[in-house]
Amino acid sequence: MSDTTLKPSRASMSAGKRNWLVTAALFAAAVVGSLVVGEGSLVYEIFVSPFLFVVEAPDLFVQVIWEGLVAGTLYALLGLGFVLIFKASGVFNFAQGIMVVFGALSLVGFYAAGIPAILSLLLSIAMMYVLAWTVERVVLRPLVNQDPLILFMATIGLTYFLIGFGEFIFGGEPKTMITEEIGLPSGSYSFDFMGGFVSLQKLDIAAAVIAAILVGCLAVFFNKTKVGRALRAVADDHQAALSVGITLRQIWVIVWFAAGIVALTTGIMWGARSDVSFALQIVALKALPVIILGGLTSIPGAIIGGLIIGISEKLAEFYWGPLVGGSIESWVPYFIALGFLWFRPQGLFGEKIIDRI
Amino acid sequence: MAAAGATDKTEYDTFPKLLLRNADIFGDRPAMREKDLGIWQSWTWKEVHEIVKNYAHGLKKLGLKAGDKVAIVGDNRPRLYWTFAAVQSLGATPVPNYQDSVADEMVFVLKHAEVTFAIVENQEQVDKVLSVADQLPKLRKIVYDDDRGLQDYDPKDLHSFERVIEIGRKEIEKNPKLVERWEAGFDKYNGSDIAVFLYTSGTTGRPKGVVLSYDNILISARNGNAFDGLDEMEEVLAYLPMAWVGDHIFSYGQSYTAGFCVSCPESRETINEDRREIGPTYFFAPPRPFEIMLTQITVNMEDASTVNRWLYNYFMDVAKKSGEKILNGEPVPFMERVKYWLGELFVYGPLKNQMGFSRLKVGYTAGEAIGPEIFSFYRSLGLNLKQLYGQTEAGVYVTVQPDGEIRADTVGKPAPDVEIKIDKSGEVLYRSPGVFLEYYKNKAATREAKTKDGWVHSGDAGFFDDTGHLHVIDRAKDVGKLKDGTLFPPKYIENKLKFFPNIQEAVAFGDGRDFCAMFINIDLTSVSNWAEKNNIIYGSYQELAAHPEVYSMIEEHVREVNLQLAGEGDLAGAQIKRFLVLHKELDPDDGEITRTAKVRRGFVGERYKPLVDALYDPKNYKQHISTEVTFEDGRKGKLEADVEIRDVQSVDVPEAHMQEAAE
Amino acid sequence: MNTAIAEIQPGKPILAMDHISLSFGGVKAIRDVSFDIRKGEIRAIIGPNGAGKTSLLNVINGFYHPQEGIINYKGAKRNDMKPYVAASQGIARTFQNVALFAGMSTLDNIMSGRMLKMKVALPWHIIRFGPAEREEIEHREFVEQIIDFLEIQAIRRTPVGRLPYGLQKRVELGRALAMEPELLLLDEPMAGMNLEEKEDMSRFVLDVNDQFGTTIALIEHDMGVVMDISDRVIVLDYGQKIADGTPDEVKNNQNVIDAYLGVAH
Repeated sequence: MSDTTLKPSRASMSAGKRNWLVTAALFAAAVVGSLVVGEGSLVYEIFVSPFLFVVEAPDLFVQVIWEGLVAGTLYALLGLGFVLIFKASGVFNFAQGIMVVFGALSLVGFYAAGIPAILSLLLSIAMMYVLAWTVERVVLRPLVNQDPLILFMATIGLTYFLIGFGEFIFGGEPKTMITEEIGLPSGSYSFDFMGGFVSLQKLDIAAAVIAAILVGCLAVFFNKTKVGRALRAVADDHQAALSVGITLRQIWVIVWFAAGIVALTTGIMWGARSDVSFALQIVALKALPVIILGGLTSIPGAIIGGLIIGISEKLAEFYWGPLVGGSIESWVPYFIALGFLWFRPQGLFGEKIIDRI
Repeated sequence: MAAAGATDKTEYDTFPKLLLRNADIFGDRPAMREKDLGIWQSWTWKEVHEIVKNYAHGLKKLGLKAGDKVAIVGDNRPRLYWTFAAVQSLGATPVPNYQDSVADEMVFVLKHAEVTFAIVENQEQVDKVLSVADQLPKLRKIVYDDDRGLQDYDPKDLHSFERVIEIGRKEIEKNPKLVERWEAGFDKYNGSDIAVFLYTSGTTGRPKGVVLSYDNILISARNGNAFDGLDEMEEVLAYLPMAWVGDHIFSYGQSYTAGFCVSCPESRETINEDRREIGPTYFFAPPRPFEIMLTQITVNMEDASTVNRWLYNYFMDVAKKSGEKILNGEPVPFMERVKYWLGELFVYGPLKNQMGFSRLKVGYTAGEAIGPEIFSFYRSLGLNLKQLYGQTEAGVYVTVQPDGEIRADTVGKPAPDVEIKIDKSGEVLYRSPGVFLEYYKNKAATREAKTKDGWVHSGDAGFFDDTGHLHVIDRAKDVGKLKDGTLFPPKYIENKLKFFPNIQEAVAFGDGRDFCAMFINIDLTSVSNWAEKNNIIYGSYQELAAHPEVYSMIEEHVREVNLQLAGEGDLAGAQIKRFLVLHKELDPDDGEITRTAKVRRGFVGERYKPLVDALYDPKNYKQHISTEVTFEDGRKGKLEADVEIRDVQSVDVPEAHMQEAAE
Repeated sequence: MNTAIAEIQPGKPILAMDHISLSFGGVKAIRDVSFDIRKGEIRAIIGPNGAGKTSLLNVINGFYHPQEGIINYKGAKRNDMKPYVAASQGIARTFQNVALFAGMSTLDNIMSGRMLKMKVALPWHIIRFGPAEREEIEHREFVEQIIDFLEIQAIRRTPVGRLPYGLQKRVELGRALAMEPELLLLDEPMAGMNLEEKEDMSRFVLDVNDQFGTTIALIEHDMGVVMDISDRVIVLDYGQKIADGTPDEVKNNQNVIDAYLGVAH
């Protein structure tokens, strides 16, 4: 009895160790190899040259890290939207990406219709509430107790509905975010750094600060209020939550609304950096590697996962991108996620997946 | 503190007088705290005075008279502490009882002390008292603190604390002069009058009622305060049984004389958390709680992350090397001090905080010998933990360790005002202002224990070393001889074994026999943790205790003890030849150990006679035993087991010396 | 919603189930069961495994909606209950396999039972200010009394997922008590407990009934416990009621003896 239960776990442990050993050995071989083969070889370009560059131009390194952090903040917000909804309702919300676009579009749209900027912002928030309420009414309520896969399909449906609906109302062409009108700063700070200089966009700083405040508010909301308690209750056990008089519908609306506000914030920040267009929703798929990394059910996981993905894709793009002609940042995150699935399928902070056999 | 010192003259020679003084000079300082419904409630000395005043008048109205005896039963609760003062203010005598004792045990004390009132904590204790009420003809009233579950009881002779207070308040309202008369009554008593009866838990036979005077307690308490520089700023947590002399001195005597605040835990299970919140500056515990805390830390560290574990191990090594030296004020190299300081920052500080010892000024352990490793562990963290040797009959203090002279193997030097001598048989005798008046209604026992000129037979065997420190080996009457005449101090050997974290309890046999043999109780926390690490599967305590691997591990420990004994001259002959691991934990409910966790060796020997016989039957390696056990609710059941017996190689004396030389 | 809710006097039925039938697909879980629960009593529901006991509780607190029959709770007649209605009108429950919010502390779990009693509007709670703060404190006091009552002070801050089973059951009872229920449904409160834990739990159940006057309906397998603490007992077998009466009456009922001995139907 004890033997059969013990042996596999020992075996798998040593397999894990072997993996690391192999990796370490490969790396060592590569470094040695590069020294032997010398400058210009592929091995040298991959394993030596980028690191030398980091040392030669530390200012560039800091700049890249900063860019990564900013991108990471936005990824983190995206991941957060997914995690909130997944925790509370068990729905993997494919529509989170389009909610980002939809939020940004409505803000720009309201303003274009002649409504003052701040009022537009409030109206967009109200819009996200209407969206949350409608989703609960039209999608979640009729499908309650259905298989998660069906709910997932429903959110894909929701995505295409919102694309169509958005194009119908706001038109399909890219728009410019009303950055200055809603009080976001522009311009940049530059300062000297170890023989070079680093430049920080004020907008990026604002994005990081706003994201931090938003996360802080959400944390307080979920940990300290009765609604937050209800929400965590629903996430932990539906039946028990019902038995103490918590109504799932109300909670779902609140969660989707919270995810909507997160999406709106993401949309504004992102829109301010590029354009507001439907193409953004593809970028929003970067949330997938983020939540694979952080774990589907962990809010800190989403944040840390987002930052890791952001930084690593920028580093990869800048230092290794030229080797293959650039634009590797679009696929590196998925690659990292794949690696994670291999070693730690539950993510950094996710609950351990134990399947009974 | 100057304020306390200046006014703390002997004119305040009883508790009621001290209460008046404290309400006067410490009026708005906290006197008592209790955690209730998750919040610390506190009472100032003024408030305590007010409560005790009303309470005393209520009790008086209910018929309590001077000379009456009042039983106090319950966990450490403010109202029970106030009962002491209220009862004493009327010239009656409080008799605290061990709250865990079953009704049968309790009835002896209540009957013997002829109590007229019983002040108890809750329904459980009310039920206990009521169940034996027919054997207590003098008992007139019961007062309870917590009314939960008591609403439907016949209220005729049963009063809630609140009601007694209310009665007292109304009495005073009707006739305010009563207060004056009450306070004037304090002067009828002085230091030589009876303060309290403390029944000894009785390692053998029936409990004896130790009669202590106000002087006994208050002089001891004042000496204790002076010895460690304690004043009204101290914080203590009252959690040890109120019937125990230690608690009576620390939580009552020293609090009233120094004026410091005593905090009562929320419940018995929350003591650790409560201690963390209170952060006592002065702490007292038998070795056991220190052992448990250390085991807990060790277990936690084994589950900690690699970094934390490394930090812990590294800095604990630093502490082991220099911690005690720094505490003792010995010279330590500068780099070691830096490392120790870093350790304080990363490890010792957080650990102390975790244990609630961040503010600890001085801590005492007594009651039993503490394991040297455990003792050193706490001291190396910078905690001023000291040992004390005391007895109920001495008003606690016999010897204490002065700062700077602290060693694990002694119990210190004679406490202030205490004289000590060792008689021919090796027994320790002492004389002090703390020495008790008599055993209540037991002249024969008093004569036996106390000589005409005031010397008390401690009943313990010991000796003074060159530095003037006392070593206590064992109970004088327990130090026996093997058949071949070798000295056999059972407790001394048992303690050596008990210093291993895996061993909770040990019982040594050997007096008048061929060799020394042992019963061993494993420590469940420690051994189950060890079992988990070693992939040992077990279903119950019994299964774990009987596991061959556990036996082998225990055998290792026994061998180590033999090695130590082999290096201790005459005791080399008292090495352990055979042992067994008991299938059940020794339990106070079965009378196997006392409420203060002392083994009743004789009783255990009788109860498990087949096992003892088997130990001395060289061909017997497995013995069946059937034991009757008592559950908490008083029901009885039977426990059956086959217990394995193991031989242990004894160590030759030269071998021991060689090992020592190699180390 | 029927608003004709009457104050029920002790001894009068607080809940009456009238010819209730429940089926899932083709499986009949409850067949034409009628009974009542009187205010202030401890009502036990017993029966072999699969007799429909838990289904019955689920009907009472609205998890299941029966196809036939009428539920009369506090004078209001309905075809079925809704969980929210049940909870807000004083029905609290525990679950057979402990359904706690595993990630939350004991305190938060019990606080969640106060959800419906907290009336201050959401915006105040978001900023956690003024009335919300006061409300939180007021309810915290109530919860502390439950913690004291159940003697679980030591685990106040412990995440319940880490507690041993017996304590989890106690916390679950605490959460139900926090709702100040009039009717408390306990689904096997003593399952999986050792003797000592069972005795503690029995004492708590009796104390709740005694001190707060709470009506209790409980499912329990331990016959000793059932006979000791309940006023009346319903016996179910294959979804049908086969006996109803005092513990003594039920004990001597031939149908019951047959059902427990497994006589063929």
